[in-house]
Amino acid sequence: MRADIDSLVTRIAGSSDFIKLDSTKCNMCGRCLVVCTMGLWKKKGKKAYIADDYKSRCVECGACYQVCEADAIDFHYPSGGKGVVYERG
Amino acid sequence: MKNYDVVVVGAGPGGSIAAMEAANRGLKTIFFERGRRPGEKNSSGCGLGPRMWTDFRFMKELTPEVCPSMRAGAASRSYFVNKQGVVAGYVMARPTESVSYEPAKSFITMNVYRSDFDPWLAAFATKAGAELKTSTLVTGLLRENDRVVGIIDEHGEKYRGLVIGADGVVSMVARQSGLRMRWDQDHVTLVPQYDFAVDPQRIDDIMGDETLAVWWSALFPAAYQVFFHDGFHLGLGNWMTWWDKNPLYYLDQVVKLDYFQRLVRVLDARPREYHAHLLPWLGSPGNTHTDNVILVGDAGGFPCPLEAEGIYPAMITGRAAAEVAADAISSSDTSKEFLDLYDRKWQQTSIGEEFKTGPELARIWRALPFSPKETMSWFVPMIMEILGGILDWSQPHAVRVRQVMRHVKLYLPQAVPFIMRNVLPLLEKILGERMDMLTSPEKLIASMPELQEAIASAFEEKEERA
Repeated sequence: MRADIDSLVTRIAGSSDFIKLDSTKCNMCGRCLVVCTMGLWKKKGKKAYIADDYKSRCVECGACYQVCEADAIDFHYPSGGKGVVYERG
Repeated sequence: MKNYDVVVVGAGPGGSIAAMEAANRGLKTIFFERGRRPGEKNSSGCGLGPRMWTDFRFMKELTPEVCPSMRAGAASRSYFVNKQGVVAGYVMARPTESVSYEPAKSFITMNVYRSDFDPWLAAFATKAGAELKTSTLVTGLLRENDRVVGIIDEHGEKYRGLVIGADGVVSMVARQSGLRMRWDQDHVTLVPQYDFAVDPQRIDDIMGDETLAVWWSALFPAAYQVFFHDGFHLGLGNWMTWWDKNPLYYLDQVVKLDYFQRLVRVLDARPREYHAHLLPWLGSPGNTHTDNVILVGDAGGFPCPLEAEGIYPAMITGRAAAEVAADAISSSDTSKEFLDLYDRKWQQTSIGEEFKTGPELARIWRALPFSPKETMSWFVPMIMEILGGILDWSQPHAVRVRQVMRHVKLYLPQAVPFIMRNVLPLLEKILGERMDMLTSPEKLIASMPELQEAIASAFEEKEERA
């Protein structure tokens, strides 16, 4: 199921950025990489980063923001009327 | 700047009820929804409890015409999955004889998709005169002299009024009002879930009036399966601290079970949608209010401490918040001290009753379904020895009973401390002084004359026969 997870999510494109990482605060604990069910967080060397196309794949659960004890991840919801749509939530 | 009496952030069940009750009290009310319509950003595992039908009279107007996804069911099923991934047994149960009222005798939950239910609920608020603004993200709180006086939306539009934060688990209102930053990592859960499409007739033919199943296992945190009119949810959750790999790995462990795959084939179920959400799960709610701000529902940490039912507590606290808002506004005092009334108010509701044993209820859930490796690994085989061990033809029955007892004994070093740590504190809290009846058979018998008589007559009959 995991391979085709993106095909199970509907989205309205067009929000401005809504997740930002402050690399100076990130302590590379790696928790965001574990809890993001969409696998949007990656690491390269000693740095975490979020996938370039996160706006079209994120389900807005807020897990990365919640789990970041270093307060390095700034999250707010996408603009009104944009982003994930749950027809059967 | 637009002036209102009450500004509600969020048009989920908590926000809609708060807006409706505020408007019904003659307050000028606006409520905001970031989705194009209420419900399209929300996902729930389960459904609506029967208490809602007694506490909110309009619930009887919920019909398939206005809410096509609704499906009520009387029965629930618990599957016990062993470490090998085999369904070692299951128990089906429906409302018992001690359940005292309708519709609780008829169904345990009414399952609805939020995309149906939330707009239906919001319409009661707009009918009462509250103004609904959709497709609008509220981005900040408006302050004057360091005091919250209203909100600002994403277009920079300002709205003044008493703020009711019904904006869910990642609450901007909680954050910006200083009531909370993040939740503690073990006060909030992450819940991934799949929605499967199923033909309604097949659900009725195969599931009957079963409405939900819980899959208990050592392989994954307890998973729930909830049936709607034309599909079902399969999901599971655990604390933020618990996950050691992508939570979908554990959800897919359920999907891969042979038994589940068989069910998928029989139901001809097809994966249709994927959701993930955070869910607060606390023994007692967090900070609920400050100057000119009240939090309701998930934003305030109100889901049920045992099973995290969230919609009903959101509606109850939404109503309490609106009542307090009306009092505060008519007294021209929306200070934190005045709004302390909110805590007293919700504590007097059935949500307050639930939270009286909140810490003990939350602890037992943490120790059982959320601890698959530590607890379910012995719990499942122990339960199955007891449920299934006797009806067995491998040995003479007396030999089997001895085998079962010996085997259950193996689990006692785990089961007894578990009961002492988690079950007895809960019972003590619930029973209070009557607790000693459980530990002293003499006291129990002494308190029940009818039991004394029954025992006496049983012995008399025995003597007569002898």
